[in-house]
Amino acid sequence: MAEHQKVNILMVDDQPGKLVTYEAILNELDENLIQARSGKEALDHLLKTNVAVVLMDVSMPELDGFELADMIRQHPRFQNTAIIFISAVHLTDIDRLKAYQRGAVDYIAVPIVPELLRAKVRVFADLHRKTYQLEMLNRDLRTLSARLITTQDEERRRIARDLHDSVGPLLAALSMNNGLVHQQAEKLGPQAVEALRQNSELIEQLSKQTRTISHLLHPPLLDEIGLLPAIRMFAEGFGERSNVKVTVELSPEIGRLPPTMEISIFRIVQECLTNVYRHSESKTALIRISPTRDKSLTVQVSDEGKGIPLDSRVSTLVGNSHGVGLSGMRERVRELGGTLDIQSNGNGTTVTASLPVGNMAVVSA
Amino acid sequence: MRTRFLIVDDSDLVRRSLRMVLQANPDWEICGEAADGVSAVEMFKELRPNIVILDFQMPGINGIETARRMAEIAPAIPVVLFTQHASADLERHALEVGIRSVVSKTNAFPMVGMIEALLESGDSNTTSDHSDSKNPD
Repeated sequence: MAEHQKVNILMVDDQPGKLVTYEAILNELDENLIQARSGKEALDHLLKTNVAVVLMDVSMPELDGFELADMIRQHPRFQNTAIIFISAVHLTDIDRLKAYQRGAVDYIAVPIVPELLRAKVRVFADLHRKTYQLEMLNRDLRTLSARLITTQDEERRRIARDLHDSVGPLLAALSMNNGLVHQQAEKLGPQAVEALRQNSELIEQLSKQTRTISHLLHPPLLDEIGLLPAIRMFAEGFGERSNVKVTVELSPEIGRLPPTMEISIFRIVQECLTNVYRHSESKTALIRISPTRDKSLTVQVSDEGKGIPLDSRVSTLVGNSHGVGLSGMRERVRELGGTLDIQSNGNGTTVTASLPVGNMAVVSA
Repeated sequence: MRTRFLIVDDSDLVRRSLRMVLQANPDWEICGEAADGVSAVEMFKELRPNIVILDFQMPGINGIETARRMAEIAPAIPVVLFTQHASADLERHALEVGIRSVVSKTNAFPMVGMIEALLESGDSNTTSDHSDSKNPD
């Protein structure tokens, strides 16, 4: 990061002598200097390379500096390109204003003070370099965050599976053995019968607790029979544990989706319900999943609670569980190319995720 | 004639316990054991058991898919889904592919009575009254 990655500086002037002068002034910046003798030539360069700073004359034949600036600004790729005008004429405030309105960052009058020009160009070259580095870091961060979510999902699935494969059979065997003994209960004394009865209850409790842990880690029905049964099963269990009355409205025509999408939608719903229970004080929750006409899927969870404070909604990095939960949801939705909307006030909260699914969503359920 | 059971579960321990429970009845015998869905379907084709006790979550194809394939071969043979994941939704899916009953693995006590009822009723399409079936987590 500390190394000086050269950026491109494009100098545009119809007079070759001026280009030579600019080059002499800017040489010591140690950047790539590109010359263009017309607006058209400048555009050719811009289309081919990523340019940090454009230094250009206002008055040029054919395409003048203002027109060229207009064309540059129309293109989203050049959002981070700084345009500096140089002019011996057009020096009124209106001219300057015209330049700034076209997105120029500076307007320099002739005669040029070499040190000043060099200093100004350096500022924008550095800014461009830093912006680029930030963008790269941001991209890395997103990749990392997506990988983190995937790893977490895989890990949870693995632990749930291990639990199912190791503890599950033991519990089943215990339960069946107990059943066998129960069939011969007449041979036992009253204390033994009571102990047997208690054992059955303990096995039942143990299996229920194990199952809850395993299902919260990763819902088994999700992989085997799909998202909708898994959500219904989770909502039922959640309702029992939390005393929140959960209504589930799922469009039956939604079929199987890609596994990453199914697990993400499930996690979003799970996260929303957890928030309803922990923070909202709502007695009800509504889960609605339906396809829309524009080939996307709407996943909506609403409650009638006290709402989410604004700072928790806006900042995703605050140290409360709302913030972490919401940022996780945002990451998942972004990974799927969708949008997340949170409406919240004193009468309740509605979280809506819109996810593009193309033609996948509506198949036989 | 004794009733012949095919038992299908990927856990050796569960199959052993099932064997013990079922063989407590002198009229019942285990004609085959399978640890996954695909080999269970092969055994089903070959052995033509009187009843199948089938796990849900197994490597390869799951119990629902296994039962669907069995129903294509011999729909009259009753299949009981024996699972840790008994729920209303799973039961609905199970009934759709012709499974007669869903029994919770960890509340297996009512299973024997349910199997007896199922065998007595012959071809009837009953669901058991197992108490855990509507019990989510």
